[in-house]
Amino acid sequence: MVQANTLRNLSVHKAMRRQVICLEQNKTIGHGISTIIKHKVNALLAVDAELQPVGVVSKTDIMGAYYAGLPIDSPLEYIMLSPPLFCKAGDSLETALEQMRTSKVYRLYVADDQSGELVGALAYPDIVGLLYQYCHQCPYSRLNREKQPGDKEDLLRFRVRELMTSGVKSLPMDATLTTVMEALSAYRFGAMLITDNNGRPAGVLSKTDLALTYKHGLAPSAAVQEVMSTPVHACDADALLEAAIKEMILADIHRLFVHEGDTNTLIGVLSLTDAARGRSGSCHGCVSSRIKVEDHA
Amino acid sequence: MKSTAAGIMTTNFPTLLPETPLTDAIRLFRQSSRQHGRRLFGIIVTDKNQHLVGMLSMYDILLYMRPKHIQVWGAMEDLDVAGLIDAAGSRLKAIQVGDIMTPEVITVGPNVDLFMVLDIMIKKHVRRLPVVEDQRIIGVVYISDLFNHLLERIGD
Repeated sequence: MVQANTLRNLSVHKAMRRQVICLEQNKTIGHGISTIIKHKVNALLAVDAELQPVGVVSKTDIMGAYYAGLPIDSPLEYIMLSPPLFCKAGDSLETALEQMRTSKVYRLYVADDQSGELVGALAYPDIVGLLYQYCHQCPYSRLNREKQPGDKEDLLRFRVRELMTSGVKSLPMDATLTTVMEALSAYRFGAMLITDNNGRPAGVLSKTDLALTYKHGLAPSAAVQEVMSTPVHACDADALLEAAIKEMILADIHRLFVHEGDTNTLIGVLSLTDAARGRSGSCHGCVSSRIKVEDHA
Repeated sequence: MKSTAAGIMTTNFPTLLPETPLTDAIRLFRQSSRQHGRRLFGIIVTDKNQHLVGMLSMYDILLYMRPKHIQVWGAMEDLDVAGLIDAAGSRLKAIQVGDIMTPEVITVGPNVDLFMVLDIMIKKHVRRLPVVEDQRIIGVVYISDLFNHLLERIGD
């Protein structure tokens, strides 16, 4: 349990994924989409003929290609971002998070401290997963505290509203995919809420959905309602953060829309990225003793 | 004749199109296993001209069904596994065969020697090899057929 109080001192190798999804840069965008979908990653590492990392292809890059009308059999090197950004396995998680924030990237590739060889990848959900595990082991965890009735410790738990991004942008069901792509790009969102004719939440269109649509050959002029995902996964603003994280982890979703009172009134979004940027586990106990919570104002 | 790929290949095999919904493909796995009297763990994917474009294997489907954050699950209690399997099943609906198939498939010609087929299967860790002639698939060699064939020959 020593580690439970020392998140600050955790290094990247504790949280990183060891399986790095790579594809040669001369493979097609269609092949890249399949790889991303099958392995459930948000990006893949493009490598050259000698298998050396040369770039990163994210779902954002794929959406850009779709928007630009690039043929799906174009090579990945046309759309990859170079060079890939690396951190070291021995770096602290704090340093890595800071590097991700300042470089405005959602993942870092991890190099061995000595050899410099590729040993893993670090993305926000991996950090949330690690925090979740530590919270679970913590003697102050809600699960452990519930065994002691009359405890007021619940007051200290993080609620979804404290870490969510306030305000929800949405588009109507008859909007075109092009319109959604423009909005996602402008707001730097991963997904867009889609509403019905009465303005009620009807579905979600994510960059993953768009990558699949591109692969399936649908024109960007198609209406959103043809391809949006339903239902809208949502939670209450006063739900415990750990419950929301658990739901996202189990359901393989990256974000929950947040409602207050009426389930049709959405007031914000909580993503795994928000949870990771919070740099804390599930309770305020960590704020003072472990890692400072970023200002979300 | 029996010592080549053509000699031991099966000519009666199911195929899929890349546009086929994954849920239909899973149904075909089940049906074919019953019809052909053998459990199928991989189905060939062709385009409309019968040209090979990939292979959908059990492993491709399992990879897609594996929960993304499974490494965290160990810390969780009271998991509703039945509900989670249903949720995974509903996620398959939007997926087509071409989305998760393996696009690069090793093939052999009909005249390739039996032991060359064996060597490829061992080195490349594959259990089935499409036999291709003039860019068309004419059969499939299954590792079990190859094995049974060798057993019979040794027993003779």
